[in-house]
Amino acid sequence: MAVILANEPLAPGVFRLDVTGAPTGRAGQFYMLRLPGVQDPFLSRPISIFEVNPASETLSFVVQTAGRGTAMLSALLPGQPLEVQGPYGNGFPLENGHAVLVGGGVGTAPLFQLAKELRAANPNRRIDAFLGFRETAYLADAFERVADRVQVNVGGIVTEEVDFSLDATYYACGPLPMLRAACTAAKTADAKLYVSLEKRMACGVGACLGCTCKTAHGNKRVCKDGPVFAYEEVADAI
Amino acid sequence: MQSDPLAIDLLGVPLKNPVIAASGTFGFGREYAALFDVSRLGGISGKGLTLFGSPGNDGARICETPAGMLNSIGLENPGVRKFAEEEAPFLRSLGPAVLCNLGGHSEEEYIEGARQLNAADFDFLELNISCPNVKNGGMAFGMTPESAADITKKVKAVTNRPLIVKLSPNAPELVAVARACESAGADALSLVNTFLGMAVDVRAKRAVFDNVYAGLSGPAILPIALRMTHQVCRAVQISVIGMGGISSAEDALRFIMVGASAVQVGCATFAHPAAMLDIIDGLSDYCKTENLGSIHDVCGII
Repeated sequence: MAVILANEPLAPGVFRLDVTGAPTGRAGQFYMLRLPGVQDPFLSRPISIFEVNPASETLSFVVQTAGRGTAMLSALLPGQPLEVQGPYGNGFPLENGHAVLVGGGVGTAPLFQLAKELRAANPNRRIDAFLGFRETAYLADAFERVADRVQVNVGGIVTEEVDFSLDATYYACGPLPMLRAACTAAKTADAKLYVSLEKRMACGVGACLGCTCKTAHGNKRVCKDGPVFAYEEVADAI
Repeated sequence: MQSDPLAIDLLGVPLKNPVIAASGTFGFGREYAALFDVSRLGGISGKGLTLFGSPGNDGARICETPAGMLNSIGLENPGVRKFAEEEAPFLRSLGPAVLCNLGGHSEEEYIEGARQLNAADFDFLELNISCPNVKNGGMAFGMTPESAADITKKVKAVTNRPLIVKLSPNAPELVAVARACESAGADALSLVNTFLGMAVDVRAKRAVFDNVYAGLSGPAILPIALRMTHQVCRAVQISVIGMGGISSAEDALRFIMVGASAVQVGCATFAHPAAMLDIIDGLSDYCKTENLGSIHDVCGII
């Protein structure tokens, strides 16, 4: 059982949870979060890792309030217990060279741990982060610490600012319209792009087939075979 | 040495305990085998099969509801042949008794599926005449005593395993369906499959599921499933496997006390992967506290 260390508001309806517990997992993986002893809401909430911090033995999540389950998470206070099951999912592959991160809203969160891992793997590589938000920007200061360039877009279309023709690996996480735009741009420019998908999940481990995505290579489970996919695989399915 | 009070005999097959993973919630055991000691389970019922397999339904497949969930997976499965070759050997290697759950869209499909499965390695055939999420067939076979008896009789004639018929709570006359399956040769019954439900997305102004209706499960259905299990247990002589929203040892005991020889646990595993181990431990503690020689000492006492 993990314990809440901090619950910090980042923007209206968006908060960061820091919890104790074995800090394992890679960028792009997720945990299933739930309040202990609660049967309603019944299912756990799949939340991507924002940061793994082995030094302080903490895990951090950035959560957007979307319904009853996330509203209950938003009300957690330091010292309260939280069930964290995971880490699950495949995570982002760490490619060599220039990396371009494209995030939308709360989808920016998993890209932060990715930026940290990319930086640790190669201190001299170039990392650009494009962060799009509908109304209020958040997390930009965190990205400033690990990326060479951080470009924030509020209210616009973040993918329009990204040059997909560079010799780089592109990573995208965010709302479906943003991912579709990224896939289209990557196809036009013949870019290497990985996208992290989000779907409603029941089990989170690949057993229930509730989050299946019908891809070019047959059915894939977003929780187990993903959530990160090469864009070619899922472009027509999202 | 005293025997384990949880050990039971189900249709001649020894089970370590009466706790079985419910079909459709446990895949073919691979995912959860990586997360907890599944060898401790009494049994595992594999994902529902159809003869040729299926990619399952399009659109949304799950939707949370108060203390439960709706699903419209639509029997996504690899088909009978692939199951026999690629999944059954692994499922067998895990240790628990294996139930092979078979669905279908037509009488011919059920019969041919059961026939081909005779060569596969498993303990019980669980005939799924109660899936609400396939467009043709599925639950339709379980809705009337006549259709349920007919398919039970025909499958019983070809299968070489003990036959468990899984009933739908959506049948208007469930007890009559249960009796008809017993008369037609079912060796046991399992109930309940999911309740037909519905969800509406008010922002999109449409039904959440492409099929409109979907199957409700979870703690929300427990009292109704328990009542139905009680009614069926009173009406038939054959063994009954009870299920519907079980998430604790006390829940499992409730079904056993109304007459279920064994129980299946489904969505509780989604909330807590090792939920069934807690249930088994809880049943074991109960036997000790109550000084029971066998868990079946309290079977059917209500």
